[in-house]
Amino acid sequence: MKSGLTLALLFAAAAARAEPASYVLDPERCVVHWEVVHFGTSTVRGRFGPVNGEVMLDRSGGRGSVSLRFATNTIDTGLRPFNARLREPDMLASTEFPEAYFVATRFRFDGDKLAEVRGEFTLRGVSQPLSLLAKRFGCRRDARGEVCGGDFEAHFERSDFGMTFGLPWIANRVHLVVQVEGVKR
Amino acid sequence: MVKLLRSAVLVLACGTAAAAPYAIDPTHTFVGFDALLFDLSTARGRFDRKEGSLDFDAAAHSGRVEIVIDTTSLNTGVAALDRQLQALLATGQHPSARFVAERFTFDGNKVAAVDGQLTLRGRTQPLVLKATRFDCYFNPLFRRQVCGGDFEATLLRSEWGLDGGAEIGLADRLRLLVQVEAIRQ
Repeated sequence: MKSGLTLALLFAAAAARAEPASYVLDPERCVVHWEVVHFGTSTVRGRFGPVNGEVMLDRSGGRGSVSLRFATNTIDTGLRPFNARLREPDMLASTEFPEAYFVATRFRFDGDKLAEVRGEFTLRGVSQPLSLLAKRFGCRRDARGEVCGGDFEAHFERSDFGMTFGLPWIANRVHLVVQVEGVKR
Repeated sequence: MVKLLRSAVLVLACGTAAAAPYAIDPTHTFVGFDALLFDLSTARGRFDRKEGSLDFDAAAHSGRVEIVIDTTSLNTGVAALDRQLQALLATGQHPSARFVAERFTFDGNKVAAVDGQLTLRGRTQPLVLKATRFDCYFNPLFRRQVCGGDFEATLLRSEWGLDGGAEIGLADRLRLLVQVEAIRQ
């Protein structure tokens, strides 16, 4: 009886683990923060959000996919004139390219924890490879069901996307700090 | 840009005369923070309105800084989270927070740490801000020397009596991320 129950539980657990699950991003817990060094002296920070999208995770299979997007005119540095300047055609070109996208299917797991997501980032109509490294990743349950999420970091050179305003005083390297949470469907 | 310059000039005009006075550049000075929610992902925010003054003398290895933050300007980009965090800070009753420091530690001629007192929700506790970056440069826009950097501190909010936040799983440990640039008068 006991071994039968154990076997049933093991089977149930294996079945649960094997099943790929999809998650809808929680726009209140998904924000893309960025940091750029100003005159080699201090860090200018801003963010984009809300971020919308979906994630598929197959933790036992070590696979996954993500598709997310955000409106580039949501850029917020805390300074209105600076936000407006960053939306202009030589920077984000928010009128011509209102959305930025990240699409990825190359997921690397460390055990059952997501460690890295490699995909393609489209900003200003230019697509470039981008790797998001997980600084933390986990899942919990709340009233909505299973919620998985974490903190990710990435960096890119803004000139690769054609944004060269202020170089070299305002650094080329953009550091991304991404908060992500998704609720299981 | 004209507006930014005008506000900077206004700050310059209002600064106190001292041996080495600097006026805080409000366009490159921000107090940000981040904190884990439910040990899952990290929310980040900033205070959009602040003012301050800075005197420092690299040769004498001395200085004084004072920053006053408008707590009602707390901004995470998520309205619900702003309300929850403003309730925690009791911003109605305590609309300002203050950091004052008179002990500067130098590494050569660069500021390495500032040791002072942080007042949050009416309670004052010691706080050391460590420089993760510090430098001085000639700013072509102001045509003056600008000194500044990035400073960080970790604090336990319970030490300031900031209890609550259980509904969002807010960690006791908060990280302050401070960008400062100041213009030599």
